[in-house]
Amino acid sequence: MIEWFHPGLIYILGAPLIPVLRGSVKKAYLLLLPIIAFINLLFMSSGVFLSRGKTWSLPFLGYDLFLGQIDTLSTVFAYVFVIASFCMMLYAIHIKEDGQHVAAYLYVGSTLGVVFAGDLFTLFFFWEVMAWSSLYLIWYRRKKAAYQAGFRYILVHFFGGICLLGGILIHLQTTGSIAFEAFHWGWEMSRDNLASNLILLAFLINAAVPPLHAWLTDAYPEATVTGAVFLTAFTTKSAIYVLIRGFPGVELLIWLGAIMAVYGVVFAVLENDIRRLLAYHIISQVGYMISGVGMGVIGTAAGEMGINGAVAHAFSHILYKALLFMGAGAVLEVTGRSKLTELGGLYKYMPITFHLYMVGAYSISGFPLFNGFVSKTMVVQASAMWHLPTVWLMLEGASIGTFLHTGLKLPWGTWFAREGPVCEAKEPPKNMLAAMGITAFLCILLGVYPKILYNLLPYPVHYEPYTFSHVATISQLLLFTFVAFWLLRRMLHGEPTITLDTDWFYRIAGNGVIWFCEKPLMTFATFIDMKVLSLARFFVWVSRNPAVALGIQKEEVKLIGKRLFSSPERVEEYERGLEEQKRRYPGELPRLTLGASVFLILLSLFLYLILYLLIVV
Amino acid sequence: MKHLFRILYGCLFLSIVAGFLVHIYLHPHIYFFWEALPIFSALYGFIGCIVIIIGSKAVGRYWLQREEDYYEKSERMQGEDT
Repeated sequence: MIEWFHPGLIYILGAPLIPVLRGSVKKAYLLLLPIIAFINLLFMSSGVFLSRGKTWSLPFLGYDLFLGQIDTLSTVFAYVFVIASFCMMLYAIHIKEDGQHVAAYLYVGSTLGVVFAGDLFTLFFFWEVMAWSSLYLIWYRRKKAAYQAGFRYILVHFFGGICLLGGILIHLQTTGSIAFEAFHWGWEMSRDNLASNLILLAFLINAAVPPLHAWLTDAYPEATVTGAVFLTAFTTKSAIYVLIRGFPGVELLIWLGAIMAVYGVVFAVLENDIRRLLAYHIISQVGYMISGVGMGVIGTAAGEMGINGAVAHAFSHILYKALLFMGAGAVLEVTGRSKLTELGGLYKYMPITFHLYMVGAYSISGFPLFNGFVSKTMVVQASAMWHLPTVWLMLEGASIGTFLHTGLKLPWGTWFAREGPVCEAKEPPKNMLAAMGITAFLCILLGVYPKILYNLLPYPVHYEPYTFSHVATISQLLLFTFVAFWLLRRMLHGEPTITLDTDWFYRIAGNGVIWFCEKPLMTFATFIDMKVLSLARFFVWVSRNPAVALGIQKEEVKLIGKRLFSSPERVEEYERGLEEQKRRYPGELPRLTLGASVFLILLSLFLYLILYLLIVV
Repeated sequence: MKHLFRILYGCLFLSIVAGFLVHIYLHPHIYFFWEALPIFSALYGFIGCIVIIIGSKAVGRYWLQREEDYYEKSERMQGEDT
């Protein structure tokens, strides 16, 4: 009897069937897979299948691979990934190209593989599948910019994958274990720390921590309309999951997270492309989660609040960010435009899209009654419990910026801002609206009734979001942000520019390295090559007749002297003589007598003997 | 539009009043000294928003913003070189 079936394998094994099916059967099948996975999870949580704490293992190279390590942490992430995949697939169901669906489900399945991985080999395997399957969601856009961004995306992820593999192998050598549990981490130079730092680096690349974040804002806005929605959820949030498993309570992460939260906001101000603006807000929001992981010292109340906050925020974020990308994608789908400078006044044509988008915007901004409020405040609360004033101020400040861009600047610039609409538009296809509707419903449901979410979290929740004090504080913060926005709204019009980010280093400075190799380095190499060759040619020339050659060389030195001291006529005569000698070279070779030859051979053998003795003795 | 603004002013006023009421009657646990100020969040929201807009715009104007074809241009220059 089947003890347990891996939810990720439902997607991975289900994907190859997609191209075989046709029409509405295919659509039903695509939506059925997440439902099966969801039911599987439900049975798993209630202990019907492999219950919590047990593992599902396979032998491999003398190790046991744990494909299914089930605990509260992996279950909550699995739930949100499965739920999100259903909404996202509904959003994408009208796409005719089967490849996009296959890539999307391989991506979802491998992410679930990462979530349930109990050992580092399994983790690495699914980690790599996640990287390349998501690449196709970018390339299916079939534009030059998308191909190029995709290449940069996959190169960064391969780098991360190699760091992960290197870290795993060193970790295996030092500890002898491949179990995926919290790593020993520190700054001191040791092999153990080298391993954990390499693994941490790989995790931070996938979590898009600056300065290793540029792959995200570079590639996500170039992806297909529906592919981008998938991309927002899985890579960064599975990175949060592995960070919670591997590096809970690492103080460095608190600061990286707080910096990230503000970094994304600053760049979002300057951004003109709506999907890139939202991508910068992924970085900002993931910052909260990373900060929460950093505060998550296990065994302390504040630490458990940090971890709970990170998990809850990941859960909420997946839903509202998908909704926001769906809204921005809908605009791109019907108008073909995604730049604020080319958009405006679309409310007349797309009111439903606007209102559904705004649910996501209220959620990300943390309005009471929306899911961002019940999760984001947990991380902020954890920073207060740890007494970290700077981090608290940075996280609260990032909330201001989040509302400013996602909740005000973007919808203002897209749906209003101008007297009339900039172009013809209409509401997107019904399935897209339905997907947005379901996601919006979930955002509100979790905001109104947070107990559903809190019951799934890894630690018991001792936190009440809806106190009078919390609601009053957040209302003041957001309302006065709106006032400042309204006063300065003319400054926030999109500008037809792009913003340099750390991808500059591999796009421009990287080109500089290639130029340096191709130009100065090559010139130098050719120069050295020529010199060496001419030296070799000289030796060949000399060896044709060394005695005469030496004579000619001697004459040439003499010629230089004569040029300085003699009259021009004599020099000319001398030169002519030398030319004649060179022309006749090598000339008649001198003949040696037999005795002289034997003598020379013996002499060379003797020299060889001396050399040999010198080296050996 | 006028109607909406009246609602907005009402909300602004209410949120400030709520801030004071919380402080007078509920005495919430204070983690940082600035939380003792009932209108701290309002000030932080207002000033923070202005600082974010002006600060980021300055960083963009003087350092990070480029024309849209910045990368294509440098690519083309590369193409001509080789």
